[in-house]
Amino acid sequence: MANVNGCELPDDLYYNVEDNVWARRETDGTLVVGMTSYACSLSGQIVAFTPKKAGKVVERGRSLSTVESGKWVGPVKAPVGGEIVAVNEVLFDDPGIINADPYGEGWLIRLKPGDWEGESGNLVSGGDIVPAFEAKMNEDGFGGC
Amino acid sequence: MAEPWNVVDTGLLGAAENMAWDRALLEAREAGEIGNTLRFLRFKPCALVGCHQSLEQELDLDYCAAQGIQVQRRITGGGAICFDPGQLGWELFLSRNALGTPDMGEIARRVCEAAAAGIRRLGVDARFRPRNDIEVGGRKISGTGGSFEGRALMYQGTLLLDFEVEQMLRVLRIPAEKLRDKAIASARERVASLKELLGEAPPVEEAKAALTGAFGQAFGVAFASAALPETVVGRYREALKEIDCPEWVNLVQKPVSDAPLLEGVAKFPGGLLRLAAAYDRRTRHLKQVWFAGDFFASPARLVNDLEARLKNITLAEAEVAIRQFLSGYPADALSLSADEVIGVLRRTVGEADGLL
Repeated sequence: MANVNGCELPDDLYYNVEDNVWARRETDGTLVVGMTSYACSLSGQIVAFTPKKAGKVVERGRSLSTVESGKWVGPVKAPVGGEIVAVNEVLFDDPGIINADPYGEGWLIRLKPGDWEGESGNLVSGGDIVPAFEAKMNEDGFGGC
Repeated sequence: MAEPWNVVDTGLLGAAENMAWDRALLEAREAGEIGNTLRFLRFKPCALVGCHQSLEQELDLDYCAAQGIQVQRRITGGGAICFDPGQLGWELFLSRNALGTPDMGEIARRVCEAAAAGIRRLGVDARFRPRNDIEVGGRKISGTGGSFEGRALMYQGTLLLDFEVEQMLRVLRIPAEKLRDKAIASARERVASLKELLGEAPPVEEAKAALTGAFGQAFGVAFASAALPETVVGRYREALKEIDCPEWVNLVQKPVSDAPLLEGVAKFPGGLLRLAAAYDRRTRHLKQVWFAGDFFASPARLVNDLEARLKNITLAEAEVAIRQFLSGYPADALSLSADEVIGVLRRTVGEADGLL
């Protein structure tokens, strides 16, 4: 588990640093997507979650879902393009799980990637995670989780 | 001095057109097609739900249809509101680093404090009340909210130049009969328009100048007025196609039965307490609570202030909030105890949960 400025960032995940999302590749080739602890810290307590519906095909960088915290609304963007095969329906009744367990029970969407090999190159993983998030947090002027 | 920010006024538009401009300008700011921009807007009669709300749970849709009131979904969160040409909307489209902090709560605070300073220029003592309201003497005069997209954000608010509380409550779902008058009275005491406070509403141009001047002063920028690029107009047309469409308006659908309006009543030595609660059974949150009855409370606004504390919280949180509120409030007199108020609320919500 990597940790940058108090924000946990599991080192077995892929990240789009700019969009602050993580992705975990499952053995069946699908991708579980969620918000990073850094994104959760910036947004504060999440009070609503509205995903696109299962079956929808979303391009890389387009919105998979919107989340609401306080009165801010923002998108959660697809780390790679693909078809939404499942959404975490538990979050409809208790979206605060996203803050409480962003890498576990608080996952948002399961995607079937359209072109994982072609599009995953823009994601960071392993030893690149810490320097990438350090740079992002410095640029943002972020104080820490 | 920094590069001037653009100021545009899109005039009086329908709900879908205004929502489409929101999306188009936010996308355009994210794409770098426009710089930091202040937009003023006004609405033809309409009711807007928050991004994640369902129309059927929040609005009296039959009434809206009969009155020709447009219904739409915002790209920002928060609760349902209604508009007519008597309100002035203001919106800032900024890069996320424009205000020098990534903290969304801090950005909201800075924008709201600047807007409050602008409203003060019109002659009322407007103040920011966390999290998102601007108030005059405890009464809301501007509700606000924000949305972000990549490295851009939009933060918007509404200034009530003139406002019909009764009309708003006809549009929203509120308790029936015995508590309806209370809900109307309560809303009237919680909301204020400039017309009510000043005797007449200031001209729209004067309100725009006051807000523009205050944003300029707070953020150390000058404003200039320039036409929007053609690419942004193109984005607006595309956004309007998506927004002026049932798929967007009905994006979130939840049954009315999941959001009952509960009523409870109990007789105590200190008087009768009647309450109504808008309750979300799925998330187990109290959306709003109203109190009425013949108990004694002084000052009279004690009850309204308590109601304001009991928004969008769980029953357990409400119990803590009631105790904290009543122990800390400078009340002259209240003929009910915290235990009595909590007891009625707990029983009312408990009965509703039992129906699940």
